[in-house]
Amino acid sequence: MLINPRNVQAVARKEFYHIVRDYRSLYMAFALPLLLILLFGYALSLDVDNVKVVIVDQDRTELSRDFAGRLDASAYFDLVTHLPDERAAVAWLDSGKATIALVIPPRWTENIRSNREAPLQVLIDASDPNIGTISRGYITSFVERYNSRLLVDFLGRQGFDNLRPALEGRIRVWFNEDLESRNFIVPGIIAVIIMIVGAMLTSLVIAREYENGTMETIRSLPINAVEFLTGKAIPYYLIAMTDVLVALAMGQLLFGVVMKGSFWLMILASSLYLSVALGLGLFISIATKSQLVANQIALLVSYLPALLLSDFVFPVENMPRMMQIVTWIVPATYYIDILNGLFLRDVGMGYLWPSYGVLLFMFLVMAAVAVVKMRREGL
Amino acid sequence: MNKEKVIIEVENVSCRFGPVTAVEDVTLAIEEGTIFGLVGSDGAGKSTLLRTMATMIPPSSGRVIMGGLDAVTQRRQVKRLIGYMPQRFGLYPDLTVDENLAFFMDIFGIPRAERAKRRERYLGFSNLLPFADRPAGKLSGGMKQKLGLACVLVHEPRILVLDEPTNGVDPVSREEFWEILLEMKRSGMTIVVSTAYLDEGEKCGRLALMHRARILADGSPDEIRSSFASLEDAMIHRIEETDGAHARDNVNS
Amino acid sequence: MPVTTSTPEIVSVKDLEKRFGDFTAVDRVSFSIDRGEIFGFLGPNGAGKSTTIRMLCGIITPSSGSGQVAGYDVVRQSESIKQTIGYMSQKFSLYEDLTPVENIRFYLGIYSVPESRWDERTGWALGQARLEEVKDRLTRELPPGWRQRLALACALLHRPEILFLDEPTSGVDPITRRHFWEFIRGLAREGVTVFVTTHYMDEALNCDRIVMINEGRIVAMGSPGEIVAEACPGEAKATLNDAFIRLMTRTERVQGPG
Repeated sequence: MLINPRNVQAVARKEFYHIVRDYRSLYMAFALPLLLILLFGYALSLDVDNVKVVIVDQDRTELSRDFAGRLDASAYFDLVTHLPDERAAVAWLDSGKATIALVIPPRWTENIRSNREAPLQVLIDASDPNIGTISRGYITSFVERYNSRLLVDFLGRQGFDNLRPALEGRIRVWFNEDLESRNFIVPGIIAVIIMIVGAMLTSLVIAREYENGTMETIRSLPINAVEFLTGKAIPYYLIAMTDVLVALAMGQLLFGVVMKGSFWLMILASSLYLSVALGLGLFISIATKSQLVANQIALLVSYLPALLLSDFVFPVENMPRMMQIVTWIVPATYYIDILNGLFLRDVGMGYLWPSYGVLLFMFLVMAAVAVVKMRREGL
Repeated sequence: MNKEKVIIEVENVSCRFGPVTAVEDVTLAIEEGTIFGLVGSDGAGKSTLLRTMATMIPPSSGRVIMGGLDAVTQRRQVKRLIGYMPQRFGLYPDLTVDENLAFFMDIFGIPRAERAKRRERYLGFSNLLPFADRPAGKLSGGMKQKLGLACVLVHEPRILVLDEPTNGVDPVSREEFWEILLEMKRSGMTIVVSTAYLDEGEKCGRLALMHRARILADGSPDEIRSSFASLEDAMIHRIEETDGAHARDNVNS
Repeated sequence: MPVTTSTPEIVSVKDLEKRFGDFTAVDRVSFSIDRGEIFGFLGPNGAGKSTTIRMLCGIITPSSGSGQVAGYDVVRQSESIKQTIGYMSQKFSLYEDLTPVENIRFYLGIYSVPESRWDERTGWALGQARLEEVKDRLTRELPPGWRQRLALACALLHRPEILFLDEPTSGVDPITRRHFWEFIRGLAREGVTVFVTTHYMDEALNCDRIVMINEGRIVAMGSPGEIVAEACPGEAKATLNDAFIRLMTRTERVQGPG
């Protein structure tokens, strides 16, 4: 099957007119991606910092004040206020004004000094389980650190100088030093945007030809399936790539997310992944012949998996085994894998080629399926 | 007798869709430069027969030769030779008259130097030049059909295949539409057209009456009319005659 | 109840006008129709035929002017009009995914036919439309001519005094059209008034009286013979088609783009 570039160009130009004439598709192509970046970037922050803490200090000693002071000085906590009793603390938790309430019981210092159990009461608002779990982790490690400091102080006063704990975990976070979830979110949004423009918008374009009755016209013209589908895909390819660049720029300007790896590897990965999306969208459109049905199916098989099953919002390792297997056929899984490598680690082709390979394979399969289906329909 | 050159040959063509036979053993030879009209009852198989000529469906058996090329094996070349307007001709409603026409010129690779001339000629023919910037969806029924005709004429095909092109079109637009067809015929184009309007049948050089998948009669309008007062009377007589024979067959068997 | 049933006129409109924005679709049209008449309403695409029918059927409200249909006012009593008339559009308003019987029952409900008469009316409609054998098939599987007969039967379920037909024979073959007109003439003999639009001038010859409309205005009125004689004086062989083309091209059709 020979390809005549003139036919491809004719279809692409016509498709471009359709897009320009239809403000809904223009909105989907340009405004929606911007909206998504802002929405996800600002609203879906997965980070927890400055956990609000209230303290009920019933001990009122130098040590208990020292404890509270160090807590306030930590970047993870924000000591909101001191309260007189536990009831008041619970009220603060209930009203959501604090996440953690710490109750230092009477004779806490005395118990420490005399080597007795000196429990602290910690109340955590876990109505948001994510924040609850993270807050518990923070407060636990804070208390442990404080404990070992007390031990070192005590031993020092006993004459053991230069004493250090036998084991000290020196944790360095690599690849995402600030543990900023935005560094994960920007690649994820790009993956979702490409699916919206590449698959959801293109799922309408051939169905529309059937609904208008223009497919019969196309079939009567000297143009083949490859020319027709390529022409249909080109405007959406250009739009989606523009969106990718805009998303990259916004990630950098608004959220300070700077890509460490190669820009061109990123473009190559985006092209491949976008081509998979285009093939998928066009295939859905040919198979359904109805814009309404095509849109529903595209939502189900392109947008939602890219959002939910790609390691973007939900970690794949926490999913049941069955779902993990499903994520293997989601193109976004491989694309996000590549983007994480490029954004966070500056790794190259030597490390990323398997994911590139899978995307290339998926593209070839999708393209073949779409072309065969189009030819079966008599083009 | 056949001094003129035959340009369309339909040889023993049958089209079956599952249990339904839409076209049964039709043979036709159409000479270059004729307007060939196809009339008949609903569901007689007119559209199906036209679609085999337009390469839209392959016949179940038999051959269709268009300008010496096989409509099935040489489909792409045949498409360059013909202009086909299906019954519900789809134009892009959101594209303007000019843009719709440009799409057809793009596909047929009309050279840049020619384009303005062709646009002038075919939009001019159909009185659409004043509406060149109007979206096709905002044209009246008659204007839409004339735009459709301009689009399929713009690559100047040798054969035009039109499936009930004047359905729902008012008499004035219909008249204009047929003036274009007659003008094209004078320039040597071959036109195959189906119609439900028997006054249009009168304008054809040759007419075939189709009923129940078969051609019942084939000749000049005068030959078809024979001794009847009008084409309509002749046609209804032939159809009822056939249906009567059918009914008798069914009773006898 | 209708105000007057004794007048011979079942439809009378005076200076009826419909504007959409600054576009005047129907421009001060006046005419009347007698009971039992077959009345033809002819004009090119976009002349204002459908808009006029829709006003007479109470579907849209006129911008100005007055009119009565079957004794009801077209401005104030549109709901009563809808119950009194039969209307069939060129799209054969049928539910294609329902069977003929289901379509008939739907319209029996719409026209508030008492349920005690449903069986009788359903049987009558299937008989009239000659659809008994296919009454449980899906409507979309029926040929266009059969769907047309079903649509016509549905429009007659409540025994309307007047029937409005908007391009009823569009896309229908000549034989079906001939049967259709025999049926319409039968209805008129029974006293039903028929208001019909068509693009087929041979069909328009069945009308007792014709109004021709162009760009929203009436350009001719009278019997087919009168119209031909007036539009093509001294031409013995002129047909209604000739008269139509003459009348429509006389009002010079200069329309700017947009």
